[in-house]
Amino acid sequence: MVNSNIENIVPISDSRYPKLLKVLGKDAPKQLYYKGNWEEGIFENCLAVVGSRRMTSYGRQITEKLVSEIASVGITIVSGFMYGIDAVSHKAAIDVGGRTIAVMPCGIDLIHPDYQKDLYQEILENKGLVISEYEGNFLPTLWTYPRRNRLVAGLSKAVMVVEAGEKSGSLITANFAKKYKRKVFAVPGPLTSSLSKGICQLIKEGADVVTGASDVLDFFGKRLTIKATETRVSVNSLIEQKIIQKLQQESMEIDALSRTLGISAAEIGTVVSLMQIKGLVFNENGKYYIKN
Amino acid sequence: MFVKVPSATNLGLETIGVDVEVNIASRGLPVFEIVGLPSKAIDESRERVRTAIINSGLEFPFRRIIVNLAPADLPKEGSFYDLPIAVGIVSQVLKIGLPKNSLFFGELSLDGTLRHTRGALLLALFAKEQGFENIFVPKQSANEAAIIKGVNVYPIENLYQLFSHLLGKTQVKPAEYQGQVRRGEEPEFDMKEVLGQEQAKRAMEIAAAGGHNLFMLGSPGSGKTMLARALPGILPALGEEESLEVTKIYSVSGQIPPEGSLMTICPFRSPHHTISQAGLIGGGSNPRPGEISLAHRGVLFLDEFSEFPRSVMEALRQPMEDGKLTISRSKAQVNYPARFILVASSNPCPCGYLYHPKKKCICTEREIRKYRKRVSGPILDRIDLHVEVPVVDIRELSQHQGLRDFLEPSNKIRERVIKAREIQRKRFSAEGIFTNAEMKNTHIKKYCPLSQEVKRILSQAGLSFNLSARAYFKMIKIARTIADLEGAEEVAVPHMAEALQYRSKEN
Repeated sequence: MVNSNIENIVPISDSRYPKLLKVLGKDAPKQLYYKGNWEEGIFENCLAVVGSRRMTSYGRQITEKLVSEIASVGITIVSGFMYGIDAVSHKAAIDVGGRTIAVMPCGIDLIHPDYQKDLYQEILENKGLVISEYEGNFLPTLWTYPRRNRLVAGLSKAVMVVEAGEKSGSLITANFAKKYKRKVFAVPGPLTSSLSKGICQLIKEGADVVTGASDVLDFFGKRLTIKATETRVSVNSLIEQKIIQKLQQESMEIDALSRTLGISAAEIGTVVSLMQIKGLVFNENGKYYIKN
Repeated sequence: MFVKVPSATNLGLETIGVDVEVNIASRGLPVFEIVGLPSKAIDESRERVRTAIINSGLEFPFRRIIVNLAPADLPKEGSFYDLPIAVGIVSQVLKIGLPKNSLFFGELSLDGTLRHTRGALLLALFAKEQGFENIFVPKQSANEAAIIKGVNVYPIENLYQLFSHLLGKTQVKPAEYQGQVRRGEEPEFDMKEVLGQEQAKRAMEIAAAGGHNLFMLGSPGSGKTMLARALPGILPALGEEESLEVTKIYSVSGQIPPEGSLMTICPFRSPHHTISQAGLIGGGSNPRPGEISLAHRGVLFLDEFSEFPRSVMEALRQPMEDGKLTISRSKAQVNYPARFILVASSNPCPCGYLYHPKKKCICTEREIRKYRKRVSGPILDRIDLHVEVPVVDIRELSQHQGLRDFLEPSNKIRERVIKAREIQRKRFSAEGIFTNAEMKNTHIKKYCPLSQEVKRILSQAGLSFNLSARAYFKMIKIARTIADLEGAEEVAVPHMAEALQYRSKEN
């Protein structure tokens, strides 16, 4: 818990109050509580990134990639500070030196979920902002989550949804965005995944499909300034090449690599460890992925 | 009239001589009393002895009989004083002298036959050490006692037979050790029966070779239990001394079946997670060995590790460090060895299906965190190898033709393990340890010098994988074992790189 400071309130009458929120009429909160450094520029170009709490490793990978590219050109990433896609978006934005706003479903003095307090600190230490429409130690309740989603959508010019199940809260955010006439971007995932159901629904209803960061950046009228970091480390051995080839098709466990390549698990493990140290591949939940 | 029959009592793995003194007074009211801190079981032996003597067609004297178990201040427990007491009484009735330098040991049945009695091996060992020539034990326990050479073990079926022998009417021949009478407990699974799980199998091999503890994380049905049960099959068979050590523990805890023999195969114990602390580490007022001692020189498999009560898990710490356990009770203090390979397994989350390719996990993030936290940190610290056991897709497996030819049988893996163990035994001959897993930091510095290149890999890995200081040492130990499996003199980069695969992925 952080100490409350009476000055950290921005009422709707204040000139600093975000304009995009002000136009929401009766949906606009009467005041906003905040932590961190309130700077009006942060609200200028906001993209909300929301998605499943129960993300897959694909979801993590694509969120990290898209958000880091989008945030690096100065677009503020707004999200709901939940675990899953939300947390990954905040983190990815901070890691490229971008700005991020976390909207809390609880009183401004609470950190929810509390085990993400490291991320919370990181946001505050990196020019980020934590805001809430609730004061003090107000506990999050079932109805504050959708209310929070309305702020996430309301603050942003566009909402990008990554991985959403059939009844995902992210769809609530997307619906608010539509209601407020904001752009909705949907990041496609495999049709076999249950976390693509909500995304497919959004696309059918007319959301823009995202095939790369430039789709979103075009909307904001920005361009990718830095080229995606081309730090190709030399691929040495034949086994490394074979492994890269396999992993480019599909992420795999050591066991599966060993079987398909017909090489012992010991040897695959040796090579993969070295590749991991070199930054060629990374491991998530036991499977290995190509790092890009 | 007074007779002294030598016998012994087991206190933990120690055996202490006990004289059973039987006095049949010529005067006084008829009575039958046992003194000398007998337990309930010994006190009740009065009825067994009397009935057994009468039912054997021998005479039970209607006199004042006092039995003293000396030394009188040592608490005695067990049912094996039946035979020495009966021998003391009947020998006086029949007016025969007892054979010199002989121990008597065994529980009587009401019909006069002798029952299989626990601890026969220890008694034989004691007899040998103390210079006794003959021991008389129940026939069913004779094979177990006959393991010890240099003592005549007389297998006795019943009281009548014993006295016929003592009177010189019929001759009972000393038992010869029969070796493995019943089939030994073969490991339930061969490694080649485990399909897929290449990495986990490799981890098993390393665990067996270096004596490392192993932690498996995986969904239900991924094969964790099967892998663990196959582990004893790749461990080297017990040496003569080790066999005796293990058999002794099984003998005192009464786990050797009738006609049992020396245990030559590594024990495998897999207690259920509802086990009590005393059940796991040993206990009782006359402390009995627990599961960890029964797993001595073998494998202790704790399935569903996170379900074990915290107190029970924590109790493992000291024995894991010391390889033995001291149990102190008001009446006695005993030592049991407990040097085992711990194989622990756990589901990734309460429902078990996190990371499962097909089934959906229904746990919340909070539940998963709570579940993972239940596994004791200090125990995980003592586990070198960590491996994930993914669910095997049968269809995917069947795509790989000839996969079965690729599978190695346990005995082939064991050959490599034995070689690696031999290298370690030589290396540590002056240190009093046997395996890489037992290395302390000083040993690591002395026996695992790392080249600059290996050091560089390790420190790079430390950064990218966020390794703790303790994890560094674990990696070096594992790399040493991998090098030993290969027969390599020095730890090289590939060994270290492979070792990194078995780091703990939890932070």
